[in-house]
Amino acid sequence: MELKVLGQAEPEAPKGGCSAGSCGSTDDQLSHLPEDIREKVHNHPCYSEEAHHYFARMHVAVAPACNIQCHYCNRKYDCANESRPGVVSELLTPDQAVKKTMAVAANIPQMTVLGIAGPGDPLANPERTFATFRALSEQAPDIKLCVSTNGLALPASVDELAKHNIDHVTITINCVDPEVGAKIYPWIFWNNRRIKGKKGAKILIEQQQKGLEMLVERGILVKVNSVMIPGVNDEHLKEVSRIVKQKGAFLHNVMPLIAEAEHGTFYGVMGQRGPKSSELQALQDDCAGDMNMMRHCRQCRADAVGLLGEDRGAEFTMDKIEDMEIDYTAAMEKRAQVHAAIEQELAAKQAKPQAPALVPLESLGGGSKPRPVLMAVATTGGGVINQHFGHAREFLVYEASAEGVRFIGHRKVDLYCSGGDTCGDGESVLGGIINTLEGCEAVLCAKIGYEPWEMLEEAGIQPNGEHAMEPIEDAVMAVYSEMLEMGKLDAKTDDQETQATA
Amino acid sequence: MALKIIESCVNCWACEPLCPNQAIYEAKPHFLIDAKKCTECEGEFADAQCASICPIEGAILDALDEALNPPGSLTGIPPERMAEAMAELQAH
Repeated sequence: MELKVLGQAEPEAPKGGCSAGSCGSTDDQLSHLPEDIREKVHNHPCYSEEAHHYFARMHVAVAPACNIQCHYCNRKYDCANESRPGVVSELLTPDQAVKKTMAVAANIPQMTVLGIAGPGDPLANPERTFATFRALSEQAPDIKLCVSTNGLALPASVDELAKHNIDHVTITINCVDPEVGAKIYPWIFWNNRRIKGKKGAKILIEQQQKGLEMLVERGILVKVNSVMIPGVNDEHLKEVSRIVKQKGAFLHNVMPLIAEAEHGTFYGVMGQRGPKSSELQALQDDCAGDMNMMRHCRQCRADAVGLLGEDRGAEFTMDKIEDMEIDYTAAMEKRAQVHAAIEQELAAKQAKPQAPALVPLESLGGGSKPRPVLMAVATTGGGVINQHFGHAREFLVYEASAEGVRFIGHRKVDLYCSGGDTCGDGESVLGGIINTLEGCEAVLCAKIGYEPWEMLEEAGIQPNGEHAMEPIEDAVMAVYSEMLEMGKLDAKTDDQETQATA
Repeated sequence: MALKIIESCVNCWACEPLCPNQAIYEAKPHFLIDAKKCTECEGEFADAQCASICPIEGAILDALDEALNPPGSLTGIPPERMAEAMAELQAH
């Protein structure tokens, strides 16, 4: 049974994107950056939270070999944390990678970025990686190139990277202390030997830090990824964040450990748990400081294609590409037009004044601030609430407070309703979703069935289908205002207790 | 005297570019070592290069069919623990 959704006849939502501000926060996430850096990242979906709603990226899996072992990775299935391509991923030669990139960029004109992220370490495969970059910088000069690395071979590669017009590099840095490092990296391959334990970790850390400094010196933007491993490096990552910011990294992305036993990784088999959403969020907040944290990362595969959070890889397998006829010049012109249109839309949005969402709060606040509330949102993108609860594979989590609405992160869930025969499993999957939504007090979606509605309510999460097709931030603020009016935000703070009794 | 790669190899490519003798070649279902070319890196490196980067325990054997990276040596997972975990997974 479906509950009727109010406001379904609302006019069509603006095409793509949130209505006000960036989806990351009411403040533009990149506003603190110098103009030259903004220029480099404003259309990069991985670096700009706003851009990820509009611009697409792809990875080409040309780099199979790896020069270190991480306890969260099992090479049998490729890396569990930074990609999840598994045995089915199509390893490409540089020629195939170029062909695939050109085909995707012709079919998805929103594409701005081509990255190499593995499935091993790109810089442990320098010939394949640089052959791909060399060809693409000649044949598709409008596509930005970027690379993600564990950093071991980075100092040796910096000059070559700079040559190929690569202005973004991501380094995975999980520690700056070899003691911690030895618990994450069992060995590295260095100077023709396998080096184990603390000694290996020390070399890796030195190379990562040296590489970071060299990139910053050359004006290449550096994002640092860290995997949060509870009890191993969680506390330590605050120190990592402080140091990499000090050295000039411009974005820090703290990601949760993925450690399922079936991945066969050290952590998976040994029962190391991943962080809870609330723990991840707390650490991200602690690391935030004067540098923005990246919170929209989807830990995508080394062969991902499309917008973040979607994967169109299956449309572009090598056999399909063979049959495609592509006019490269026309494709580049088309991209230029599409990108210009998006830029215009973004500029128009920025020029528009913010919605006066905070006014009712201020008038109701009575001097003390209402407590912040987390809400989950089901969306397929475009910055609007447009997804059925049962169809959501992930929920975006927002925090509403007297300061406004801010994006906290996304939480992946198993599909509750896949229709037909599989619905029998719905109950247990729903339990999992409710656990995943821990800490959220409301879930906003386009529609929701009666049963999940009841179970969510029982779990203390208020389902809400009243804001279907509305811009996320406006809807979150509207629900927050309602909660405030109903006196639901008084309970948890001391000064409000006094206010309530007054 | 030559090393060999056996079926647990996952074709990750790490060893192939390192071999000083170009003895390793891509093959199906897994990479192979040309016994005529392999010197076990004798006289070139202190350790056999393929075995020093291989991430898979037991995938490379010496002339006596002994694993250069025995179970537990690379991942740090005690073999009995791995067997336990896999049995548990298969039971599901």
